[in-house]
Amino acid sequence: MFKPMMIEDVYTAYGKADVLSGVTMEVWPGRITCLLGSNGSGKSTLIRSILGLTPPHSGSIVFDGLELAGLPPHGIVARGIACIPEGRRIFAKMTVEENLRMGAYLERSDAKVRANMERIYETFPRLRERRLQLAGTMSGGEQAMVSIGRGLMSSPRLLIIDEPSLGLSPALVNDNFRIIRQICESGTAVFLVEQNVRQTLAISHCGYVLAQGRVVASGTAEELRNDPEVRQAYFG
Amino acid sequence: MDFGLLTQFAINGLMLGMMYALVAVGFTLFFGVLDVIVFSHGDVVMVGGFAGLTTFYWLDAIYPGLSHGLMLLWVALASMASMALLGIVMARTMILRLRSAPPLNTLLATMMLGTVLREAVRLFYPNGSNPKPFPALLPDWSLDMGHLSLRLDNLILFSLGALLIVSIHLLITRTRLGMAIRAVAQDAETARIMGVNFNAIVFLTFALGSAAAAFAGIMNGLYYNEINFGMGLLLGAIGFSAAVIGGLGNIYGAILGGFAFAFLQTLGAVALPFASAYKDVFAFGVVILIMAWRPTGFIAEKTSERV
Ligand SMILES: Nc1ncnc2c1ncn2[C@@H]1O[C@H](COP(=O)(O)OP(=O)(O)O)[C@@H](O)[C@H]1O
Ligand SMILES: [Mg+2]
Repeated sequence: MFKPMMIEDVYTAYGKADVLSGVTMEVWPGRITCLLGSNGSGKSTLIRSILGLTPPHSGSIVFDGLELAGLPPHGIVARGIACIPEGRRIFAKMTVEENLRMGAYLERSDAKVRANMERIYETFPRLRERRLQLAGTMSGGEQAMVSIGRGLMSSPRLLIIDEPSLGLSPALVNDNFRIIRQICESGTAVFLVEQNVRQTLAISHCGYVLAQGRVVASGTAEELRNDPEVRQAYFG
Repeated sequence: MDFGLLTQFAINGLMLGMMYALVAVGFTLFFGVLDVIVFSHGDVVMVGGFAGLTTFYWLDAIYPGLSHGLMLLWVALASMASMALLGIVMARTMILRLRSAPPLNTLLATMMLGTVLREAVRLFYPNGSNPKPFPALLPDWSLDMGHLSLRLDNLILFSLGALLIVSIHLLITRTRLGMAIRAVAQDAETARIMGVNFNAIVFLTFALGSAAAAFAGIMNGLYYNEINFGMGLLLGAIGFSAAVIGGLGNIYGAILGGFAFAFLQTLGAVALPFASAYKDVFAFGVVILIMAWRPTGFIAEKTSERV
């Protein structure tokens, strides 16, 4: 078991204005840590900071005892972090199988890639049926499966998921939450960004609330549910 | 017009088409991966030809008895390797740096680079302002039948070109690196999230495209028995047109576009035998008409048919 990911006093900007102003968080293995916050509060930016796509200009992000800030994205991903990005972002002109292979791009052992693919196909039999179909021609729900499967292909130690429910039917959203729970139970640390507060808090162990680039509330799921600010913002 | 002559036109058209396809593949790869039009690409073809010629001079001085086959192998390898390197240096020092600037700047910078390459060869290559005879490194055996002459050297050149294009195509469709190139072309940021080293893929793409251009330069020299400092201008314009006809970003399209352009030129030469010098005017004219006729067709292709 590895140590938690420690995000400490992270400042990130696009151009001049800071979007994140001193964010501090911990993400533990074996737990689902959720990140709540309204649109534009900086959730995706925090993910971009962790992945090195928009590196923080100050602060530190330590994963498994190693500083990530300053590494390029491929160096960060190589440490065992995977991401299911906002809006799925599947490779539309690639087949389902190629999309899955992209998820294990840094895995050099073909045997491992095949074993992982087999595991994904067991979770999503639909993908096996469609494995040679171009991902862009599939339905929204199927594309969501491709995106989740791709995120799991590298057997990550930390999986970051950005708004997986966006644009899915309630039934598919329920499926999604069930699968996220399974991912966590298999030992992966899950960092879940969501707008769907009620369901998210129902499966999360702990979480943070972001507003205008600052952490305004944190605690266990139970504590967040009873937090007056969260209640006011999300449960009316 | 008799059958022999028509066949001869067809053969010439295929040879030109292969050269254009090799140039167009570079344009389409660069656009697919980085959304840039690299206007110096035609001049890289020219420099590739000169690099090959220089390699020949050296080899001929050091190993005068070297067989023509080995000579050609080394000429092609040295030229392709040096242009691949030039492509990487270009990507690193210009193209990647200019990514945060408006796209127009990249266009302008590569246009100026093309001029620099052209002028550098003209001014600094020994007697560079004159056309240079290119050594005939292929067997000159041919089968003559009336107006038709089937030449072995053309067959070999065409096969080598085809081999190169098929290899590039296989690399892109069948290998892990090729998958990364396609991923970057479709969605660079998501490719990076998957662990793709973006800069490395850009370098690989520029190396591939520039090596193909170098081979086109050598092919040009062997086909016309000469090269000159200005040959990249027309080849660049043709390669770019071919890539646009095929839908920028689409590899199949670029290959087809190259042959389509050569077909148009040949058609021009056959249809206007009294003025075959106008064959380029004819071909470019048709390309302009096609673009005017289907202006949105190409834009739709551009967004949907990446690499
Ligand atoms: N690429 C970008 N360039 C400039 N500003 C951006 C960019 N991406 C996001 N922002 C700004 O950063 C803020 C936070 O955005 P984001 O992190 O996407 O929020 P969330 O994911 O919580 O909805 C917003 O004000 C948004 O306008
Ligand atoms: Mg977001």
